[in-house]
Amino acid sequence: MRSIRLRTVALTAVAAVAFGSLAACGETSDDGDGVTITVEGWRPGDKQATIDAVKAQAAAFHKDHPDITVKPVEWQWNAQTFPAQLAGGTLPISFRVPFTDTKGLVERGQVADVDAEIRELPYFDKLNPNVLAAAQGTDGKVYGLPSDVYANALHYNRDLFTKAGLDPDKPPTTWEELRAAAKQIHDRTGATGYAEMTTSNTGGWILTTLTYALGGRMETQDGDTFTATVDNPQAEQALQLLHDMRWTDESFSGNTAYDWAGINQAFAAGKVGMFISGSDVYNALVTTSAIDPKTYGLTAVPLGDSADAGVLGGGSVNVVSAKASDAEAEAAVAWADFFRVRKYTDESAAVADAKTQTAADQPVGTPTFPIFDEASYTTYQGWVKDYVNVPLEQMSGYTSRMFDLSLIAEPPAQTQAVYGALDPVVQKVLSDEDADIAALLKDADASVQQILDKG
Amino acid sequence: MAGEVGGTPTQDTLRSPIALWPNGPDLSILSQAWTELGLSSYLVNTVIIAAGSWAVQVLVATTAGYALSVLRPRLGRVLYGAVLATMFVPIVLLLVPLYLTVLSLPVVHWSLVGTYAGAFLPAGASAFNVVLMKRFFDSLPREILDAARIDGAGPYRLFWSVVLPMSRPVLGVVSVFAVLAAWKDFIWPLIVLPDPAKQPIAVRLPSIAPATDLSVLLAAMAISAALPIVFFLLFQRLFLRSEGLEGAVKG
Amino acid sequence: MSRVGGPALVRGPARRRTSVAVLARWWRGGAATLVFLLPMLLVFGLFSWWPIARTVVMSVQDTNLVGPAEWVGLDNFRTVLADPLLPVALRNTAVFAGIAFVVGYPVPLVMAVVFSSLRRLRGLYAGLAYLPVVVPPAVAVLLWKTFYDASPDGVFNTVLGWVGLGPVPWLESASWVLPSLVMEATWAAAGGTVIIYLAALTSVPQELYDAASADGAGVLGKIWHVTLPHLRPVLLITLILQIIGTAQVFLEPYLFTGGGPSHASLTLLLLIYEYAFGSTTGGGAYGPATALSLMMAVGLALLSWAYFRLTRGWSD
Repeated sequence: MRSIRLRTVALTAVAAVAFGSLAACGETSDDGDGVTITVEGWRPGDKQATIDAVKAQAAAFHKDHPDITVKPVEWQWNAQTFPAQLAGGTLPISFRVPFTDTKGLVERGQVADVDAEIRELPYFDKLNPNVLAAAQGTDGKVYGLPSDVYANALHYNRDLFTKAGLDPDKPPTTWEELRAAAKQIHDRTGATGYAEMTTSNTGGWILTTLTYALGGRMETQDGDTFTATVDNPQAEQALQLLHDMRWTDESFSGNTAYDWAGINQAFAAGKVGMFISGSDVYNALVTTSAIDPKTYGLTAVPLGDSADAGVLGGGSVNVVSAKASDAEAEAAVAWADFFRVRKYTDESAAVADAKTQTAADQPVGTPTFPIFDEASYTTYQGWVKDYVNVPLEQMSGYTSRMFDLSLIAEPPAQTQAVYGALDPVVQKVLSDEDADIAALLKDADASVQQILDKG
Repeated sequence: MAGEVGGTPTQDTLRSPIALWPNGPDLSILSQAWTELGLSSYLVNTVIIAAGSWAVQVLVATTAGYALSVLRPRLGRVLYGAVLATMFVPIVLLLVPLYLTVLSLPVVHWSLVGTYAGAFLPAGASAFNVVLMKRFFDSLPREILDAARIDGAGPYRLFWSVVLPMSRPVLGVVSVFAVLAAWKDFIWPLIVLPDPAKQPIAVRLPSIAPATDLSVLLAAMAISAALPIVFFLLFQRLFLRSEGLEGAVKG
Repeated sequence: MSRVGGPALVRGPARRRTSVAVLARWWRGGAATLVFLLPMLLVFGLFSWWPIARTVVMSVQDTNLVGPAEWVGLDNFRTVLADPLLPVALRNTAVFAGIAFVVGYPVPLVMAVVFSSLRRLRGLYAGLAYLPVVVPPAVAVLLWKTFYDASPDGVFNTVLGWVGLGPVPWLESASWVLPSLVMEATWAAAGGTVIIYLAALTSVPQELYDAASADGAGVLGKIWHVTLPHLRPVLLITLILQIIGTAQVFLEPYLFTGGGPSHASLTLLLLIYEYAFGSTTGGGAYGPATALSLMMAVGLALLSWAYFRLTRGWSD
């Protein structure tokens, strides 16, 4: 859900956009013996070690592909600056977009069709289809290479668990347990037992996570027709649970207007017992909120009994600028493969990457979601295990179940709009004790259907 | 980095943001912010942009206000209306067309992207300033202007030697607002200055926020907010001092 | 304030001269006028009028900013007018502007009048009032979110608790969210307006106060009979500027609530932002965003026109 974090200006977000000198911006040249492309290299605030490593990678890539020159630049997805750069032709050729925003760009024709190039990659058939779905348009074509994938997971404060008389090594595995734990935390410590994000589309994002976990879906697809199924029993159950935690147990106490960064801060400050966010959120908790690692616990989101129950995941798609030429698009896909994915399939790339992260004082080993099968993942973990600097044993609730979880792709059409329509539903349930959940879902369903119909 | 327990400055900030440094003041965080984030170069950028922004805003506002209020050209009302109208269009929406304009100026096709001028020139198109200035000039005693004309002052001398010196308070207001707006502006310089080496501090700090320790970030923001305050305190003597202010209590 | 004598330079006196002299004088005056207008024409032309013209064109187009734009006539306007969120945003914006008028408008005026009557440390108080204006919005949000913490140990709720009130769900309830945002916005902006008033007060001729004193007026009397009448033109202009400003309120709901809870703080500008960049509609809808902006601009222009007509007689 990087997009969401980026939308919250303030402390959290909004990215800079930098691609070296003006002349280099998005401009490329096919000068007979090759092609030069600008690519997203590092994000604002990255340490020099990271920047150097990216440049070294670019040089290594050039050795492999003498006909391609890569110019990495500072860049980060930002919904506000993107249109201007797109219209002005100053985007890098290769850049990453959060899962949630990819569909919208594809539907509006704002990224290039690289279906053929991606399908030629040697590991294409090994990609987790649910991960690949994030990079596919409603036409089934592939518009980019997924990377940095994570599943939503339950983050909990081990310290508050202990204070409340709960066993921090046995986090809840069912929603009943979670609700009881939340109440116990609130009753005994006064802290908020369980909290959720609710603003800037995160409310819809997490409600969808809960709905998936209980076995429901927000959309169904039939050919290229999409139907809203927002009004489903599982969503209703999830909202009822939220309602009861807020108003009956009062364990979701205090603030409810959380966005991505806001809930991280509250959690890192020890004000919140449990919350759901991407499995890699620990990285942000460390780098920006200075969380005490000893208090951190990670476990899987409890799943319902339904066979359809699964976890919602997120990540980035390495897309190609819509203004790229064929040669540039091909070069961009080759670079994304080399730079983002190869480390999971190549030992020396894996070790080099881990070394760079360690050198830059960045967390190494935070669990993500495997984009290939379990065997490739275990092999990769073996390569980097000497560099891991995060408390993995406190994350075993998640890592031990990671491969049993079925990752479910986000609502395929109008993802952000679906989330946007659900935000007010969640907010209403949390701000009005007498909210009519069934009616709210019915209305939201109708407005999502309207958005889907418009296309 | 994350190994320290509990009482890190960031943790203090998050737990009790208004209790200033519950674990004791830690001034080293200021110097840490200064060196670690390389604030000095961003401050230099900020000062350049603020100075340019101030110059263009004062130039446009004074000349336009003078022309519209004192010289009164035939189409003055239409022009004033056109200036006022720009106030009603939300800036956020102009980002794309403005960027395209700055990327390739009409007729000359120069690109201002990546230049300081690209960041501060558009600030000159401030309807607020023009309105403020024109209103102020409207309220200048006409007798003085007429007397100057009778003494043979042309439009240029009238502007430079009569109107401007009488406008100290409003020039002060426009200057303070101009500098401040340039200091705080975020989204436009972010788009127009893609090179981090040229970005002002208000752009750089939020950009690096997701990768920066919160307490260091807040220290950096405190530093960046301190300068306009100092500027204001020094500058206000120039325009808030007058006999009139004493009047209400003198007896 | 009164335009005794009128501005004669450009046109007036020329009538009685010979035709050559008329021409020469007109040329000199006209050229000077042009010289003075030039910075404005250039800067506004390039960076305001021209981009606005492009925006107007976008409002009747459907574009993805990559390929050629498609003409869609008034479709974007119809889309916006049919949006059920439009009346919600309109209402919230009006309520915000209303509360800001009642609560927020007098605050800087009172502050300026009080400061101006201080003999000492006036600069210090003005500086303190100005402080919030320079606080980066990111810091302001962090600060005010702790003030507005809905739990009983939030800052405001703690204070209310001392007198047996609260806890108030500041940003968490549909009825409290707009007043809460107005309060923060007033805090953030009042300092700027105070400075305008203080600057205007510097030009009150001392004799007026002396005359009032001679008539036996006290401090309040002098404020009522001298200070306020003198500020009237400025007050009229700051009022319309505030109305325009609050009609375009964006930062507060954007940073604090994202328009929630349940659209209770969704404002017109936030809706425009959501169309173009944001989430509610999936973003990328530049056509509807520009269409709504234009409608809003026309509405505000009409409002201002009516305002200026109504108040024309009052400011002189």
